[in-house]
Amino acid sequence: MEFFRKLSGRRSGLGRQVAVLAHGFGTDQSAWSSLRPWFDARYDVISFDLAGCGARGAETYDFDRHGTIFGYADDLIDLIDEIDTQNIVYVGHSMSGMIGAAAACARPGLFDRLVMIGASPRYLNDGDYFGGFEQSDLDQLFDSMAANFQAWVAGFAPMVVGVPDNTTITDFSRTLCQMQPDIALNISRTIFSSDMRQTATRIRRPVHLIQTSADMAVPTAVGTWLANAIPGATLDVIDAAGHLPHMTAANEVQRILDSNLLAKAA
Amino acid sequence: MTASPAGGIDALCRFIQQACRADLVLAVEVDGTGRAVPAGASSVQAFGACNLQRSGLLDRSWATSPVPANDFRLPSAILHALNQPPASLLFVPTPVDHAPASGLLLLWADEAPPLSVIGELPLLGDSIARLLSARRDSVRQLAMRDQFSDLFESVPSGIVLIDGDGQGAMINERAGVLLGCDAGQHRAGKLADMMRRLRENCSNREELERAYAAHVSDVNFSASMHWTLGERTLEVTTHPVRGEGGEGRIWLFTDVTAELMMAAELRRLATSDPLTGVPNRRHFEERSAEILAARQAGSGHSVTVMMLDVDHFKRINDNYGHPAGDEVLKVVARRCREALRDRDLFARFGGEEFIALLASSVEDDLPAIAERVRAAIADEPVQLGDLSIPITVSIGTATAEVVKTLGSNLMDDLIGRADEALYQAKQGGRNRVMMARS
Repeated sequence: MEFFRKLSGRRSGLGRQVAVLAHGFGTDQSAWSSLRPWFDARYDVISFDLAGCGARGAETYDFDRHGTIFGYADDLIDLIDEIDTQNIVYVGHSMSGMIGAAAACARPGLFDRLVMIGASPRYLNDGDYFGGFEQSDLDQLFDSMAANFQAWVAGFAPMVVGVPDNTTITDFSRTLCQMQPDIALNISRTIFSSDMRQTATRIRRPVHLIQTSADMAVPTAVGTWLANAIPGATLDVIDAAGHLPHMTAANEVQRILDSNLLAKAA
Repeated sequence: MTASPAGGIDALCRFIQQACRADLVLAVEVDGTGRAVPAGASSVQAFGACNLQRSGLLDRSWATSPVPANDFRLPSAILHALNQPPASLLFVPTPVDHAPASGLLLLWADEAPPLSVIGELPLLGDSIARLLSARRDSVRQLAMRDQFSDLFESVPSGIVLIDGDGQGAMINERAGVLLGCDAGQHRAGKLADMMRRLRENCSNREELERAYAAHVSDVNFSASMHWTLGERTLEVTTHPVRGEGGEGRIWLFTDVTAELMMAAELRRLATSDPLTGVPNRRHFEERSAEILAARQAGSGHSVTVMMLDVDHFKRINDNYGHPAGDEVLKVVARRCREALRDRDLFARFGGEEFIALLASSVEDDLPAIAERVRAAIADEPVQLGDLSIPITVSIGTATAEVVKTLGSNLMDDLIGRADEALYQAKQGGRNRVMMARS
């Protein structure tokens, strides 16, 4: 279990079908602690820390391999292959949404269905496409990350959490600060310069999209774009704010999972 | 114009793609651990690094015919570039020293067409390997050039680098500012002119001229000199740079003004008396020994030591307090310094005692000088705010002929005699000068 160990994998749960929980930028697998009991009761649950994140982020991150979303998708495929399973339920938050998309395009047989929370195939505006960011916004973001990482975290965390949930803000700040600053900067460049729109259109597995109505990283237009682009995708917009609904609105997310995953799996 | 190796690999991949009717052709540089860096591709897709160790491509021997692709695990970026899962593929190993598992990867979305040209592909192996090596060299050179330019611009000195052929030259930003031209490439002759002009603006240009003239035809010449440019001092270092042609040379211009001022200030602090600002006893002893040594080299000169002590200084301290005493010492030091000649050495000897070594004193002048010092103190009371403190000093002097054979205890002897004379001046009622007989 080389990859599983390397990525600090955790396995729990009572179910037969494997569910892989993949966290997003700035968190680690502890982000799933609110939803994990729900999954544990129904699935064979695998969580892990993305390369560059978690306590061993500096060891797992490769500046070349992880310079694109596809490098992360290769990690995910390696992990699933190693567990030697197929037809998994994949739940990916934020950047892990498109990581799952790339992996599902490369190896459709590994996936039963995908849940993407706060996913975006492209953050930059591009003609008619509204991603929510201009290049100048991103340059400013990268500059302030490079100038003083701690100070940047202090401003970024509450903005991304989006609701006055101090526990989540504290947890998110802690996992952000856990990242090596140069790695954090490189990952955010990878995310914000990615364009995974083509990949999204090629997914041939059922996809359930979940996002909030006020997410600073993902405008609702992005969720709508993905729902239209991915054949057969469903979209649930939670009437709440923030980019981390699996942490700040876990009950809402759970209700959506109930009606989507369980109904369809039955 | 020669195509870059990377461009050459792309072109070759496109050619192979068309000739073999493949859907994607990639040249990958793969090291012993399976780590793969795309070196060229038939499509414009950008690839990142990936790992082929578990792909199944590297651990089998390849014949010349394509095989079904579903036995292989290809990196997601490659599958993305192809747009769909491949039906068949072919790997043509093109090992190179630095990346022994490198090769050419051909992918077909449908079954590969039966073309004889596919069987000929291994013949291209050598050319691809050569291109991969050339690409690596150029990537390395580029990286070295980047490192060099970072270094070139980050050192805190102006740099003028003359090429080995003696014709070309380059300078960094700091040198550009100093010489008044842009950073970058210039003719060596033009930069030599600009450096000469800068040198001619220096206040020590004659000295520099002479120093450099001595080496004008010496290609191995190295030197480090201070160029005094107005208020600033530049440390200018030059040495030959061994390169092709052998006439390369580097000039480094470093502004050392702040360092020199710091060093001078430290020296001053070490040799002066903190209260009065005049030299301290240690400085007096060092300088006076040098002066005597210089006089001994000549002959027939005489030297005079003058000892001076503030009268009833303890009483001043007791009556007006120590801060007032300190002020009095400062005034005494200043008035003495003004009454003496610039070339006389004057120092605080300790407590309320001062000492002077009079330069080449003509004995006839001595009484006048000593009297001038005494009067400078006594004629005017020291004003401290509303206080007016009358001050006098007693002075003892001693003179000796400097003879070559005299030992190093001449100064001790002079100080002893001057001190004796000072004692007599005190005994005689203070505020007076006593001269020890030679």
